[in-house]
Amino acid sequence: MLAWGSLTKTDVIGAIVVIALLSVVPFVGSRYIVGIMTVALCYAIWASSWDFMSGLTGRENFGHSLFIGTGAYTAGFLNVSFGLSPWWGFPAAAIIAVLFSLIIGIPTLRLRGPYFALAMLSGAVVMQKLSIIFSETTGGQDGLNGLSPMLRSQVSAYYFTLVALVVTVIVLKFIALSPWGTILRAIRGDEATCQAAGINVNFYKISALMISAAFAGFGGALYANYQLQVGPDLFDVALSINIIIMVYVGGMGSIYGAVGGALLLIGLTEGLRSFSEYRLWVYTLILILILFFIPNGVIAPAWVRVREWIIGRSAAFTRRASA
Amino acid sequence: MLDIIIYGAVISAVYALLAVGFTLIFGVARILNLAHGAFYALGAYCVYTLTANLHVPLVIAAVIAVLLVALFGIAMERVLVRPLRRLPPLAVLMMTLAVGLMVEQILLLIFGSEARNVPSLVESSFNFGGVLLSGQRLLAFFCSVAILGGLWLFMQHTRLGAAILAVSQDPEGARYMGIPSDRIFSIVMGLSAAIAAAAGVLVAPFQSVIPGMGLLPLVKAFAIVIVGGLGSIPGSIVGALLLGYTETIVAFKASIEWSQIVSVAAVLIVLIIRPAGFFGKRAAF
Repeated sequence: MLAWGSLTKTDVIGAIVVIALLSVVPFVGSRYIVGIMTVALCYAIWASSWDFMSGLTGRENFGHSLFIGTGAYTAGFLNVSFGLSPWWGFPAAAIIAVLFSLIIGIPTLRLRGPYFALAMLSGAVVMQKLSIIFSETTGGQDGLNGLSPMLRSQVSAYYFTLVALVVTVIVLKFIALSPWGTILRAIRGDEATCQAAGINVNFYKISALMISAAFAGFGGALYANYQLQVGPDLFDVALSINIIIMVYVGGMGSIYGAVGGALLLIGLTEGLRSFSEYRLWVYTLILILILFFIPNGVIAPAWVRVREWIIGRSAAFTRRASA
Repeated sequence: MLDIIIYGAVISAVYALLAVGFTLIFGVARILNLAHGAFYALGAYCVYTLTANLHVPLVIAAVIAVLLVALFGIAMERVLVRPLRRLPPLAVLMMTLAVGLMVEQILLLIFGSEARNVPSLVESSFNFGGVLLSGQRLLAFFCSVAILGGLWLFMQHTRLGAAILAVSQDPEGARYMGIPSDRIFSIVMGLSAAIAAAAGVLVAPFQSVIPGMGLLPLVKAFAIVIVGGLGSIPGSIVGALLLGYTETIVAFKASIEWSQIVSVAAVLIVLIIRPAGFFGKRAAF
């Protein structure tokens, strides 16, 4: 397949190793660890969907929590207020999130400058305020509680989330490596040239945002169905920022780097449990340090190095074997 | 009717203060400062600490708070923002956002999440044709108008003001004329921080002083500046009036709840109809 052309065998093996490691977690870890890892996988879905839009086109989205929150609340409403099966929440969440992405994306993405980033930020802030103000329907500060569980056991929920993440990454990476993704990256490089080449840049940017929103909304519904609870903190600016930091740590525009960044930072959060009040503080400090010293991130560049090393090793090995 | 006019005027004046600083640093240094709300919150908390813990008289505390926040703004520009200016503009945007969050977190660690009270400078209330207005709101209105007027005089009638205007029109051209653009950027950041802090100090007695108090004003400032045109000071004042009065009318006629949506609706409508805002230059887009 054309779209997979630039992936090497080493990439595929690396991905399989990571998936294998993640699928062993329920066998070796306690209930607690499995719970943390399920949340980490949700973050990974959010981070990779953020990276798809913002990493590829270079249009940073400061309010990804808008999509996550609307997705989660949609799933919550359908389940708690309308009594529908949790499975309906997933497509509905994706659709509502896409709707919001159109409301914000169409007016702002055609403009150059920071409008899109800021409109997303204010959209998320206002939705959070609204979810607290209209507390009769949304449950206010406490949110919606008592969603009926979608899967009985915690382990099956973990595997379901893992499969969802793998599918998300495969789909997003597939699009990113296709000619379609090349156009998105070209928009990041030089928008005016793309326009001159006859590419309808607004169409591509808005559709990229729609795809990103769909996966974020889906991830939000997943999180809601796992936590059995939806609250206004899902619209929080801090959540959007955490996701951005995860992608920055992972390396922008690589998609798999975002997954690594999410797992790494959730791990770090667990390591810093005893300093839980300082957590966001540490996160912002990490962001500032990365902006200054390693603007390309950690995970994706590290993997590129490792891959080169492996390829170099195997090339040397075959040379020695044939000699 | 009269209550809408009076309350709308107070809100608009405070909004104008917030928006003017925000648009100033954008117009001059092209920095979209997401830490602007943090300056506002810092101003309020500085006054709180100075009066409640150190027992400094309120007026002196207010002045000290504004100066401290101005210094903080200058330090932020020098240490954190300037080294990133060579990078894509989003790096600066991320940095200001990081600083804003950091400030909020530090305030949360020191003061906790419960609301703090700052005493009013003017305790008595005034009656305007049947509308009762607290003295602090009246003071906030007059101080805001005075600060805006002072800013206008400063920009129009001093050498430094002329230099700031020159840099905002063409930073490179200004540098050729011997204006130190980098120093102007620092000064403007300090000025913008001071104005935001002044807004925070003025509203602190009738607003709940909490660590996250800067977020909504930031969103409002952003909305006003979009409506008025990014980088235009008259635009931001007109935008503040428009948004302040629309919010007040919606709050009085419908409910306070719906007034929260006004700013985002205004942003979206303006971006659809006229992205440059009322006073922005079209060439910038």
